[in-house]
Amino acid sequence: MKAAFVWLLSVASLVVCADVSAQSHEEAALWRRGAGAKLSERGLALKARKVLGTGGEGRAWTDNAVVLVKGGKIEAVGPARAIEVPQGYEVVDLGDRWLTPGLVDLHNHISGGMGDINDMVYLVNPELKASSTVTPRNSLLQRAVAGGVTSVLYIPGSGTNMGGQGILLKTGLATYEEMRIRDPGSLKLAQAGNPERWAIGVGRSFMNWNTRDTFERGLAYAALKKSGKVQENIQWDVFPALADKTTQVSTHTQRYQVVLATLTMVRQGFGLDVYIDHGEWHGSKLAPLADSIGVNAILGPRVVDPQSFILDTDGAILGIAAEYQKNGHRRIGFNTDAPVISQEELSLQAAMGVKYGFDDSQADTIRGLTWVPALTAGIVHRVGSIEVGKDADILVTTGDPVDPRCSIERVYIEGQRVYDAGETRLW
Amino acid sequence: MRLSTIAACVAVVFCTSTFVAAPAWAQDPAPAAGETKSDKKTEDKWVALTGGDIYTGTGEMLRGATILGKNGKIEAIGYDLEIPKDAKVHKVDGMRVYPGLVAISSQGLLGNAGGEFDDTIDPFNSRMVLGLAAGITTTGAGSAAVKLKRFTVDGAVVNERLYSVFSWSGRNPRTKSELREKFAEAARYVREFREWERKVKEQKDLPEPKKSGVDGTVLSVLRGETLAKFNASDRDDLLGIARLAQEYGFRPVIEGCQEGWTVADELGRAGARVILTARDRRSKDEQQVAAGGTSIENAAILHKSGCMVSVTPPTEGVDLGGLEGRDIRMLTIEAGFAVRGGLPDKAGLEAITIVPARIMGISHRVGSLEVGKDFDVLVTDGDILHYKTYVQWAFVDGRMAYDKEKELFYAHIRPRPQAELKVDAGETPRGDAPKEGETKEEKPEDKKDDKPDDKPEEKPEEKKDEKKEDKKD
Repeated sequence: MKAAFVWLLSVASLVVCADVSAQSHEEAALWRRGAGAKLSERGLALKARKVLGTGGEGRAWTDNAVVLVKGGKIEAVGPARAIEVPQGYEVVDLGDRWLTPGLVDLHNHISGGMGDINDMVYLVNPELKASSTVTPRNSLLQRAVAGGVTSVLYIPGSGTNMGGQGILLKTGLATYEEMRIRDPGSLKLAQAGNPERWAIGVGRSFMNWNTRDTFERGLAYAALKKSGKVQENIQWDVFPALADKTTQVSTHTQRYQVVLATLTMVRQGFGLDVYIDHGEWHGSKLAPLADSIGVNAILGPRVVDPQSFILDTDGAILGIAAEYQKNGHRRIGFNTDAPVISQEELSLQAAMGVKYGFDDSQADTIRGLTWVPALTAGIVHRVGSIEVGKDADILVTTGDPVDPRCSIERVYIEGQRVYDAGETRLW
Repeated sequence: MRLSTIAACVAVVFCTSTFVAAPAWAQDPAPAAGETKSDKKTEDKWVALTGGDIYTGTGEMLRGATILGKNGKIEAIGYDLEIPKDAKVHKVDGMRVYPGLVAISSQGLLGNAGGEFDDTIDPFNSRMVLGLAAGITTTGAGSAAVKLKRFTVDGAVVNERLYSVFSWSGRNPRTKSELREKFAEAARYVREFREWERKVKEQKDLPEPKKSGVDGTVLSVLRGETLAKFNASDRDDLLGIARLAQEYGFRPVIEGCQEGWTVADELGRAGARVILTARDRRSKDEQQVAAGGTSIENAAILHKSGCMVSVTPPTEGVDLGGLEGRDIRMLTIEAGFAVRGGLPDKAGLEAITIVPARIMGISHRVGSLEVGKDFDVLVTDGDILHYKTYVQWAFVDGRMAYDKEKELFYAHIRPRPQAELKVDAGETPRGDAPKEGETKEEKPEDKKDDKPDDKPEEKPEEKKDEKKEDKKD
């Protein structure tokens, strides 16, 4: 055992040595303390065999490419022959490695460690904030980073119809302030399929009425607030942001009638920015309507329709993403509902989507893990692709990041190297 | 007996033709309605897969080669093989051919089997189809190794006595001292017995050493008649098992083995046979300075240290609840995670084929494609460890036990181009098939000529002439 430990130590120290030679001791120390902002002052040039996600739509990738990073942002990206690396930049030649935009998961419950996010006080609690429970660098988040997930929507649970306000976070940074992308990240709505447990038990017709009533009152407050006719009331403080469309409604919604309620009530009725989050079961039958009114579909944690809910498939196992796609939805993303699916297995959700029929010929898995959720949550100007001006949230992988066999060797968030498998391999 | 009952059921099913595939599965060709072909019983049954890239599992990959089976065993693998005229020939050009996977442990694939497997295996159960669809042709179930033979239980059990399970746990330290005492006692007995064996030749009246008080199970481990299996994951427990094994000269089977990577040297020296879940997650004990908890590199480090490494997914049953990627159907995904942690690709495949076969003592039958072994063969549409890949056909003992296009579950996902499989033997017009009407009904578009086994075995010989011509292409 001792021998094994010594062996491990020696391997680890070798890796560290190699690492330090690439950076100065001081920089390495800075990085370990998370004080990476200074690091990125010096430009960084990443050379890789393939860069995925170099655009939003279409077959967006670039082979034999260089990505320039400065001040935490992406300064340039393109084929190596077309990009001139400025003087003084640290050049990291990654050989055959691939680069992928940091993954985005819009259904995360683990940014506070565990618990603390399912306060079933009232049937609707729009005033509760997940942001008050964020625990930076908790062990679950660290593994999320190792799994390539760099941005998450951390949301309350679905024990009530409105669990509270989610917050959009960067996973791998050291402090709450650094992590925060936007607060409120969303209003978490759970239309059915859990809130039934509240108090003595409630049914869908009451839940729908109560939810609608809450939206009406909240939006009325927002209107009054805008005209300055009402005092600040923190119970309703998320609604002005919803009315302004600076945040969205993220909806735990599944099964036909429930998804229908999401589309008709929240989108068509109140005109809010809303998306299907935790999309499951045969909500896919509403894909054409959802697509036409701009309600994106973020799917998971279930990958296939459980047969107990679907009786008309003659035994065929239907992939949920494949069904949404087949029915014409063009904005499909994947989520984990971590810890239901461990956060680091986000990419496996996409792999399983493909397993069950999702067409990936246009690189829609990568898009569904990055650009689509970023667009959906309104943060696509910052994350979701490797494009000029965006945050340098970049994964270095040994190949297709969707393939469980390919490992993630490094993770950069805003130009800081927040994870290096060569130092401590977490996933 | 029970087998004949099942055979009778099969025959009934066939006669009523509600299940066209049935006759193929009958172990002894079930008499095709009214016909008696008993004279054919002794005829050799040949099957050949041609044109596929054959991944033997233990040797090299043979591109565009042929694998030939005879009476359920692999007869030959290679190029330019002479294929008997009455062989069922499946052209699988562009596909890959692999050994059937071996799930070292699973639940439900055999129905509610347990105890007397011959009596309790349900060979009609849909979980078995899902198992075959996942490429599993053999599975450990309790302490037996069983094949997924559909529609029959005959010959399904390969090894009935795999392990003796022992407890060795820091949570119950008494188990350790008690077991160690048992080993000491049994070892003493073995020594005395050997000595007695030697001496008794001269001293005829020398009394045999007393066996009373010696633990029979431990004795069987020391004599190599059974494998000692432990469920252990804590570093100190693993270390103790490794030391016990080295001291008494047996190779332990260790399931779990989460912190194995921290004591890999010792486990390697003990020649441990490990069953692990590459994806297991468990935090390090923060009060320990030494490394601990799980590591994605566990499989790779143990492999490097000389352990036999097999993998098993987080859930060993079939879970159709929708949370995908972690049940027994995802054996290949679990191997993929082991590869992620640094296990070489080849060892990743071995961890779900030959290694579990070796651990279960059945590697002379299954786990790789080698001449003389069982014809348990998969045909896939890609790299078997890739998440997108599907098993298109699975053969068990030379018979097609699964055809993706013909089963309920996955046929709709990326349906395969019909041209990909042609069956020579006895395909073509069905005019002479005994149950023409029904057969046609089953195959309305009929050009789907990829289910060779859905017709009586007797047929091939009736159309030798056509076959000869067909074989050329």
